[in-house]
Amino acid sequence: MSTEQATAKTSHDTHAGLSAKGLKAGSVGLLGAVVIGVSCIAPAYTLTAALGPTVAEVGVQLPAIFLVGFIPMLLVAFGYRELNNAMPDAGTSFTWASRAFGPWIGWMGGWGLIAATIIVLSNLAAVAVDFFYLMLAQLFGNPELADLTLNLPLNIATTLVFIALACWISYRGMETTKGVQYVLVAFQLFVLGWFAVAAFSHVANGTAFDATAITPEWFNPFAVESFSAFAAGVSLSIFIYWGWDVTLTMNEETRNPEKTPGRAATVTVLVIVIIYMTVALATLAFAGIGQEGLGAGNPENQGSIFAVLAGPVMGPFAILMSLSILSSSAASLQSTFVSPARTLLAMGHYKALPSKFGKISPTFKSPSYATIAAAVAAAGFYVITRTTSENALWDTITALGMMICFYYGITALACVWFFRAEAFSGARAFFFKFLAPLLGGVILLVMFVKTAYDSMDPAYGSGSSVGGIGLVFILGMGVILLGAVLMLVMARIRPEFFKGQVLPKS
Amino acid sequence: MRYVVGYSANARGRDAVSLAVALARGRGASLDLVLVVPEVQQFGAAHAPKAGFENLLNEQARQWLDEALALVPADVPAQGHIRTGDSDAQALIEAAEELGADILVIGATSSGLFKRFSIGSVASALLHASTVPVALAPHGYHRKDALTRISCGLGTRAGAEQLLDFALGMAANRKVPLRVVSLLALDGGDSAAAAEAAREYAEQTVAAGAPVDPEGVQPAAKTEVVVAQGRSIEEAVDGLDWEDGEVMVIGSSRLAQARSIFLGSTANRILRALPVPMLVVPSGYELKHQNQSTPNDTSREAHQ
Repeated sequence: MSTEQATAKTSHDTHAGLSAKGLKAGSVGLLGAVVIGVSCIAPAYTLTAALGPTVAEVGVQLPAIFLVGFIPMLLVAFGYRELNNAMPDAGTSFTWASRAFGPWIGWMGGWGLIAATIIVLSNLAAVAVDFFYLMLAQLFGNPELADLTLNLPLNIATTLVFIALACWISYRGMETTKGVQYVLVAFQLFVLGWFAVAAFSHVANGTAFDATAITPEWFNPFAVESFSAFAAGVSLSIFIYWGWDVTLTMNEETRNPEKTPGRAATVTVLVIVIIYMTVALATLAFAGIGQEGLGAGNPENQGSIFAVLAGPVMGPFAILMSLSILSSSAASLQSTFVSPARTLLAMGHYKALPSKFGKISPTFKSPSYATIAAAVAAAGFYVITRTTSENALWDTITALGMMICFYYGITALACVWFFRAEAFSGARAFFFKFLAPLLGGVILLVMFVKTAYDSMDPAYGSGSSVGGIGLVFILGMGVILLGAVLMLVMARIRPEFFKGQVLPKS
Repeated sequence: MRYVVGYSANARGRDAVSLAVALARGRGASLDLVLVVPEVQQFGAAHAPKAGFENLLNEQARQWLDEALALVPADVPAQGHIRTGDSDAQALIEAAEELGADILVIGATSSGLFKRFSIGSVASALLHASTVPVALAPHGYHRKDALTRISCGLGTRAGAEQLLDFALGMAANRKVPLRVVSLLALDGGDSAAAAEAAREYAEQTVAAGAPVDPEGVQPAAKTEVVVAQGRSIEEAVDGLDWEDGEVMVIGSSRLAQARSIFLGSTANRILRALPVPMLVVPSGYELKHQNQSTPNDTSREAHQ
């Protein structure tokens, strides 16, 4: 299938002219949009990565925090949708924040987005590697194979190979097809459902590790011990809904742009909340939050909870969980590459980065330099975290939650500021362009500041520290500081953008 | 006459533009440069809405097309088109059909690591599915002057007359000589007799093909029949002299679906050894145009 596009061309005089034809109509229906939403969230991966660290912060109030965490995400997503409708642009947060607040804040917003996606790339690759070795162990009935992932040089080498493969696939412009996404999403939901049912039947049969009775208190966010724990929990649960906003931004590609995106977003979030609640309750009911053995509070288990629990819960079928997480994190690894690559491309295009970032491969028509740069950054980030942290997965997820709060906060406030003139022009505009993004943005930035402050404590997260300062703080702030330094360098060597000449404030 | 050029902003694309210009000159054809950009999928792109990237991609595509149009000399009319499609080959075939193209021109490869003709994936896909003749520019082709000679590779299979019609038409329209080549791969043995049989067949075919010419032009007068021999097809091709401004016309295998191209093993091997561009004609191609006897047909490549 191919379509010809309208191409306007004025400068050619002698023998050239470009022809025009209509754009292809949208082709994604409700189900397709929901599949896209769920696949962007990748629930099997987010649960295995975030469940442990969140339990470490909020204990049995895990379900409450998962529910509360959705509120700022929803509020910010409303603003995100307004900005995307007004200024559809590959630079997203970077472009919008530049238009609202000028080049400096815009640059940092873009940096936050890139940093968040780079961090999640390294985490995705690491999770994929863990489950790769776990699956080999299950396949050959040899538990020693699973421990290969603990061998530091081998682990780093395998992770770098995974990153390189995903980068190569993205560079070649290959994308996961619709059919594959449907299968991956269905498989994830099926396996997570199986896990929950199996866990509950262990509880019913008295074979659970630490059967814990579910109480209404689990759903009470105010029962969380401290505001610090609450903030950390919310910034982690932002991560588990990250990607959901994509469903709201699909417009022309849906069959019914008026209704499909809203319905798809609603259905997606219902599916996700149901699966998160079920799995969170099943995990807590089966394993409890004890610090020993299989307990969800055991620091040993926090980096990747299903790697520990799938075997005891699902028995011989645990290999399905490995397969599901391996396949979905590998697919996410490839599809997530697209995001930093496109943002870097847009920043190169708007002269906010060296022009080679704006290069599109003539052969594969993908952002060539930007894709490779993203892969190098993700690989570098992983090597640094893995060698400095006692629990790299845990600390990267915590730093990631912080980074998402940072750039989503900026984006939401950019929406408020950009639309300030029309904020009071009607009830709809007031809510979607002003109130919702303002609340969402302020909540996220408060979470960001609070988490950043708390993370200076060397005992924060997995308890790794450098020079008496918590590793999560060093990772998060280090990345933001690096961005600020690079921004100043760029302002020196390519001042055009920073003088507001490329993307003027409006 | 319209020739569709499958363009990409690399060496392969420039090879194709050069060959298209050479083909168009001496025939008064116009060129349609088609750049295929991939359809930006929402599936498999987490955290990245597609709209903005499409804009950047199209902006870049327009810039590339402007550069490509600048490569076309002023005496050859040319237009640029951006097409969106998942498969480059499919999008090019559709463009060629919709624009009523007579030839689809592409660069065969961009890799200098292998022989001149190591077929790229797009070229390979086109050769298996195109319904119009496909011209393949070898690596590094930069000649833009009109053709000086047409060679026609004849086999003994069905469809040879149609292929010869096509080549005769091409040569007569451009007022250049036609050379009919019969390639023999011989493992020693009775080479003289085989060569003679091949020459006889080729001359008969030329004689049979000549009367098709409706305007009484005598292309046969300029037609030369050559039999090339060697231990392999590659050696036979190497044994011939080739002009810089020459194009080799060959037919696709009869294994092909009606009216689409499928390179037979012989043609594939010729392709690898050939130092000049190759034009691959789908089986039954001329019949299609003879059946559509509209006034427009007079401008078709295969007719006068």
